[in-house]
Amino acid sequence: MLATEHEYLEHQLAAPDAAAPAPELAAGAALLASALLAACGGGGSADAGAATSPSIVSSMLAANVVGSYTAPASDQDAVRFLLQAQFSASDDQINDLRKLGYAAWLDAQFNAPAPMTGIAWLNSRGYDAINNATRYYDNTYPADYMVWHQLMVSTDAVRKRVTLALSEFFVVSLLGLNFSWRSHLAAAWWDVLAANAFGNYRQLLEAVTLNPAMGAYLNTKGNLKENVATGRAPDENYGREVMQLFTLGLYLLNPDGSEKRGGDGSKLETYNQNDITNIARVFTGWDFDQTQNVNTVEPVQNRTIPNTAFTQLPMRLNPANHSTLASNFLGATVPAGTDGTAALKIALDTLFNHPNVGPFFGKQMIQRLVTSNPSPGYVARVASAFNNNGAGVRGDLKAVFSAVLLDDEARGPAGLTQTGFGKLREPIVRLVQWGRSFGITSARGSWKIGDLSNPATQLGQSPLRSPSVFNFFRPGYVPPSTALSARLTPAPEFQLVNESSVGGYLNYLQVAIRNGIFVNAPDLPNAASSATNGYDITAAYSVELPLAGDAQGLVKRLGLMLCAGQLSDASQTLIVNALNATPITAASSDSAKRDRVAAAVFLVMASADYLIQK
Amino acid sequence: MHLLQPQLHSRRAFLRRSGQLALTGTALPFALNLAAIGEAAAFDATDYKALVCVFFYGGNDYANTVVTYDDASYTAYSAIRGGKADQTAGGIALAKSDLAATLLAPGTLLADGRQYALHPSMTGLSRLFNSGQAAVQLNVGPLVVPLTKTQYNSADRQAYPLPPKLFSHNDQQSIWQSSSPEGSTVGWGGNIGDLALSSNSNSLFTCINVTGNAVFLSGDSALSYQVSTGGAVAINGIKSNVYGSSAVKNALTTLVQQPRSHTLENEYNRVTIRAVGAEAQVTSALGGSNLATVFPAANPLADQLKMVARLIGARSALGSKRQVFMVSLGGFDLHDNLISQHPGLLGKVSDALSAFYNATAELGVANKVTAFTASDFGRTLASNGDGSDHGWGSHHFMVGGAVKGKAFYGTAPPVSVGSSASAQDQWHVGQGRLLPSTSVDQYAATLAKWFGVADSELAGILPNLRHFGTTASRPDYPVNLGFMA
Repeated sequence: MLATEHEYLEHQLAAPDAAAPAPELAAGAALLASALLAACGGGGSADAGAATSPSIVSSMLAANVVGSYTAPASDQDAVRFLLQAQFSASDDQINDLRKLGYAAWLDAQFNAPAPMTGIAWLNSRGYDAINNATRYYDNTYPADYMVWHQLMVSTDAVRKRVTLALSEFFVVSLLGLNFSWRSHLAAAWWDVLAANAFGNYRQLLEAVTLNPAMGAYLNTKGNLKENVATGRAPDENYGREVMQLFTLGLYLLNPDGSEKRGGDGSKLETYNQNDITNIARVFTGWDFDQTQNVNTVEPVQNRTIPNTAFTQLPMRLNPANHSTLASNFLGATVPAGTDGTAALKIALDTLFNHPNVGPFFGKQMIQRLVTSNPSPGYVARVASAFNNNGAGVRGDLKAVFSAVLLDDEARGPAGLTQTGFGKLREPIVRLVQWGRSFGITSARGSWKIGDLSNPATQLGQSPLRSPSVFNFFRPGYVPPSTALSARLTPAPEFQLVNESSVGGYLNYLQVAIRNGIFVNAPDLPNAASSATNGYDITAAYSVELPLAGDAQGLVKRLGLMLCAGQLSDASQTLIVNALNATPITAASSDSAKRDRVAAAVFLVMASADYLIQK
Repeated sequence: MHLLQPQLHSRRAFLRRSGQLALTGTALPFALNLAAIGEAAAFDATDYKALVCVFFYGGNDYANTVVTYDDASYTAYSAIRGGKADQTAGGIALAKSDLAATLLAPGTLLADGRQYALHPSMTGLSRLFNSGQAAVQLNVGPLVVPLTKTQYNSADRQAYPLPPKLFSHNDQQSIWQSSSPEGSTVGWGGNIGDLALSSNSNSLFTCINVTGNAVFLSGDSALSYQVSTGGAVAINGIKSNVYGSSAVKNALTTLVQQPRSHTLENEYNRVTIRAVGAEAQVTSALGGSNLATVFPAANPLADQLKMVARLIGARSALGSKRQVFMVSLGGFDLHDNLISQHPGLLGKVSDALSAFYNATAELGVANKVTAFTASDFGRTLASNGDGSDHGWGSHHFMVGGAVKGKAFYGTAPPVSVGSSASAQDQWHVGQGRLLPSTSVDQYAATLAKWFGVADSELAGILPNLRHFGTTASRPDYPVNLGFMA
């Protein structure tokens, strides 16, 4: 039954170098980066940068591999793209994008300099201190602040949007990190996803596999080889989930993401329990790399605390704990006696080269960024970009995300009139869009945006806090008792929608939009309460407040910037009339103007026009 | 031909109603005109009954929950799980002496001298068992047909079909709840609710979820209505002026509830419409429903069960006669740290269920409310070092005054990880992953029958039930397991 798949794998394994990205490509990308940055930063020769670009995305566009739309035809088109590719839109970005076109703009973003990492931010705030009073090493709240800060203010917004999407595919949750320096583990995890977001999937997969937070979350850390005497078997958790969730999925797929069928019409399973038991052996023998530990004895509890170095090092192999039994999975063989590093290479190469990865990963990235139900053709085009970036490289994530974002289905007007196109904006993205659109700042630099997981009072979703490795929502989730369930049409983000969460979101937003986010002790990094408790994190509304007297103009602008022009005329009229019920003039108080701006933002962000991103 | 078809469940239920659907002129389940399809006769609901599904997310380790206790089986358990000499703790084995206080004393002893104790942290639940308000269903899990290990290993999947995607969390959660893997939209709790809709004056309060979205409570017609542990969430901007403006409040009220032509937009607003429509009634009803029973603090399962108890207390105000609830606790996927993490989870389960039982007694409905447990799967009996891996069958609890308690149901599986042909090794499929000797369909049918579901309706709710019981010539796998009075 699996003969063709095995042949494919053998073929791939015969040419292991195919997995590695061509070095000259990486060099070319670096050159391009500096050229484009010069172009954008100088604000002058943008056209030259786009025209001479040898980049993957340009060549894909030129070859019609990714869609036929080269530049936005309108501001609405530009914002539509920006809200899929990142979180928000600004006037400058709209102008740059319209000037540069999609390819050059994306290239510039792919190669944008990395701002402060999550780890660096934690340390800059003193969260690496060893102190019994704060015990940051035992707390997860620094990681909440870290990741919200990354999402809200990092200048590389496309990379951070993709990183968020990756964090919902390769899931590590703060709920499962019961180790010292758990916030640093989470930050290093976030940083690894960000660093590899526009690299190669093969390297990403290896970085994910050996990341200590992932090791702690899915139990590769400390995983021991079998013990025949006691009957102890290797832990199967990572072996199972790396196949089910991070690479292959449950069923063999066609390139367009549809499931292959056997002669009797049944779906064909990608792997079985035997594959899991075998591949589990590969993931034994790994543990935190403690070689760079510098220990401190915390005097109050007389507790020895290491420094945070191990959180940022790939896990290290202890050969004594690694299974050297032969391991057979997915048609590949790790011969008996193979050392752990070589075994890992065989396993990851096998997974990476499986034909399921392109459609399996590609479809979910489309779902995260563009639409819940892409056509089979769309999935096939993204899978094709995964399989070959046009230069013979498999797994080039720049090619994948270019294909996701520049496909005609994402860019063309058809989706704007189809009644099923698009997706529910997930709550995290809504809050980040609000923050970025209206220039939120933390007056004291606390950035204390915490765990917002409570659906009844907050967003019902918080980054890096998935309830399990299955993410906040499943790619195949079909909301029951809806028009979608009659057709078995998935709408993943609806897994977070219920009679509590719709109200929790509105109630949270109503306060945040007007007053900001309330923070305890913004003058201190730790979770204390102080005289400075207050709305430390607030939106500036610097563009919107001057428009307060013009309800029509204000709502029109919000309709563009928040909804890419997808706020219907009827909704605009409804909102404008509500605003005009309270007259505002130039002489009105700042507070009254702020009320009006807040009301406009709140109503737009409450509307279904906004909530469903088309 | 009994190959399991993933959509069989919803399709069967849908077809069951399709003739009636013609009357309503629509094919959309949510638009069903309940009066027209005439389900009022399903229950003679002059009294009150409730089922409460308590789901353990992650797959509970059966072997350290209902722990084998008699010397012979404990010795085998201890050897497999790394226990130390003289029946002391070690590896992931519990010490036998720690189990004495939670030893279960069934009215009828198990065969072969088998005995079980609950995990030492489950004192409340062991008391409920021993006083007759709780029972244990041994080795229950998803089955399409009754299976022996030989049949499990057979290549003939036509004759011996397996539940799809065994050992996979999300799929086995879905299969426990709905008989189908992920993507399923209709659960058996919801289907039971379908039959109860007309018994309740507000059908929305038939299936109430106090945890995250799950397929269990969604029926063909019945909706899963979500209530938080603090009650129904009021939308402040609809209740009161927004930033001082009544016009903004009114605009919000319209905006979030207006019908939309875009499917996703419309479905989002439909949830809001339901939330707004029900909130005042729920809040008012709960205002008059408070309990003297003390629920444990810092226990999310107890918070949920307390809300269930308060909703049951408010049943008159809500006009409810038949209700199905769902609550859950996560964190059971203990591949590591079983010994350090499991006691806290099981303690929460035991404390929460004990308080909940006491609350139903306080409300005078102890014999009208039945709680039962479920989980993704059981786990391996074998250790992976400091935890256990994904399994299949598991032991589960039924709690309530109508449960024929102080008893075990089903068959005690041998304590084994061996792969020989001996009888001892026939009830696991490797590393002590239990091959279920009772199916989820039998478990569900027993609960449904007590709830008032007619035999003729069971087949439409539980698609594999027809392969069990006397009509399938399998009296050894009875449709009614007998644990309900």
